Amino acid sequence: MTERTALELESVRRCFGSVVAVDDVSLSVAPGEFVTLLGPSGSGKTSTLRLIGGFEELDAGAIRIKGERIDHLPPYRRDTATIFQSGALFPHKTVAENVAYGLRMRKVERPERDERIRQALEIVRLQGYEDRYPSQLSGGQKQRVALARSLAVRPAILLFDEPLSALDLSLRLQLRGEIKRLHDELKFSAIYVTHDQGEAMAMSSRVAVMNKGRIEQIDRPEKIFHGPANEFVFTFIGESCCLPVRRGASEVTDRNGQAVALILQNSLPEGDSRLYIRPSRLKLAAEAQGLPNRLTATIHFIEFLGDMHRYHLKAGALEVFADHAGPIGHDVGALIDVGWRSEDMKVFR
Amino acid sequence: MSDVLARRGFEPVMLKALGAAFIVFIVAYILIPVLVTLVMSFNDAAMIRFPINAWSLKWYQDFFASPQWTDALKSSVIIATGTAIISTVSGILAAWAFERFPIPFKNALYLLIMLPLFMPGVVLGLGIAMTFGGVQIAGVNLYGSRALVMIAHSLWAMPLVFMLMEATFRTVDYRVVEASYDLGANPLRTFIEIVVPMVSTGVISSALFAFVISLNEFVMALFLTDRDTQTLPVLMWLSLRSAGTPRLAVASVILALTVFACLAIIMVWYVRQLRKVSRN
Repeated sequence: MTERTALELESVRRCFGSVVAVDDVSLSVAPGEFVTLLGPSGSGKTSTLRLIGGFEELDAGAIRIKGERIDHLPPYRRDTATIFQSGALFPHKTVAENVAYGLRMRKVERPERDERIRQALEIVRLQGYEDRYPSQLSGGQKQRVALARSLAVRPAILLFDEPLSALDLSLRLQLRGEIKRLHDELKFSAIYVTHDQGEAMAMSSRVAVMNKGRIEQIDRPEKIFHGPANEFVFTFIGESCCLPVRRGASEVTDRNGQAVALILQNSLPEGDSRLYIRPSRLKLAAEAQGLPNRLTATIHFIEFLGDMHRYHLKAGALEVFADHAGPIGHDVGALIDVGWRSEDMKVFR
Repeated sequence: MSDVLARRGFEPVMLKALGAAFIVFIVAYILIPVLVTLVMSFNDAAMIRFPINAWSLKWYQDFFASPQWTDALKSSVIIATGTAIISTVSGILAAWAFERFPIPFKNALYLLIMLPLFMPGVVLGLGIAMTFGGVQIAGVNLYGSRALVMIAHSLWAMPLVFMLMEATFRTVDYRVVEASYDLGANPLRTFIEIVVPMVSTGVISSALFAFVISLNEFVMALFLTDRDTQTLPVLMWLSLRSAGTPRLAVASVILALTVFACLAIIMVWYVRQLRKVSRN
């Protein structure tokens, strides 16, 4: 167990006053694993990261790095390195001095220190920037220096605190790819905090979806996407349509009791339930023919999204939207069929 | 129509002229006392008096040839330096603690720290004189010593440093401090290597303000110094009562120049930092 984990959280708990920010979180990161904490703001993901880094104190539980308990140590005694959202570079130090800082604190002496600075800057492709000050760098370059600064000290675990969220979209995608490439190359262990599911899916070995201080599900990205463990995970990951339905004695109605033309392969549980479908999996009009689950609905309005047309449909109080490449040949007000396969649907009570 | 246009054209000219006149007045108002003193210091006569009939540097020679006056200048500089060190170190540490840690009765404490700034110099001077009048340390009288004046002047300088640094520390990006801890630097190391350089303009300004405050201070120095430790303002006041020679103007010019030099250093440092932090 000691050798198998880079980091281990055991029933970690952190409260701020009466608010439980991190609630009974257990998690282990294998060496070389890239684990993402994904969740909405306030879900406790950043607090969890700060507990690991030592910037918050634990109220209960244990944190181990390579099998040794570290939760009683101050941040400067922990073998972690954080890449902050803002980069948090030292403004009065040059790029090389920024990267050198952690090495100096770890008493890495001259020839080796210089070599490791050179390596780190090469890894993030910033050779030739040694003597620049942070103010002379672009946002993306700053984050690459922050990455080099953390990589140079070769910590047991790298902690990423939403490092890309302050950057614009194209830069975000580019750096995301670069972090992924670095991880494939260097096999560092990492915890990555983000609220961007694209980032989480693209980079992670495993994703932990967090909500209200708890981990709702932790698994490989494909498993999370295709087999969400619960309603929260389903709605948080990817887009989804929710149909709040009610099954009476004989027919299916909306919550107002109005009957809807809904045909399902498997019957719903009696009473109220919520039926979720991914809009990208919905088939419209003629394409819906022959699918086991169908709803007949009126086209409410149509959005043009570039690649796609998004059809907003209504059946009683039920609303769904479906994407279709190009127009389907029906206009607003038309009554059409929407269909989907049973595996693309989830029912929660 | 043309009437309105004409008036519109007229008003800004009027405003500009008024503005210019106001600026000239302010500048003159601020600089005239200094300029008059500067002019008077080159007076050849034995008395401070207009008109000036002959010009010379003789009072400068006289000033630097007189041990009494150079000693007073030395005393002033030593006391000002000591005050700058004491109040900068204590003010910065207090401000950092104030900014970083939860302290009970913070607002009341803030007012208490600021209180000496608003106290008349006579009150503080007399109070310190009475308190330390007979105190000896290692056989040396504390009263009349430069150390006591440094401590007294720090009563004024420290709150100022505290106020300045408290505001400066508020601008520090705390993530940068955390990054330093994160990379393995302990709090002391972080403070010296990361925090202080980030607020260097504030530190330099604090030290020089403290220096200038001490250099300018007269009342407390009058209460607390003796013949051997008297500062330049004290000696000037004493000699004004016996003989008002242009030597006094020379002393004034030296004090004023020191103040200008301090301000210049602050400006240069500020511009240097600005250049470092802003993108080229």
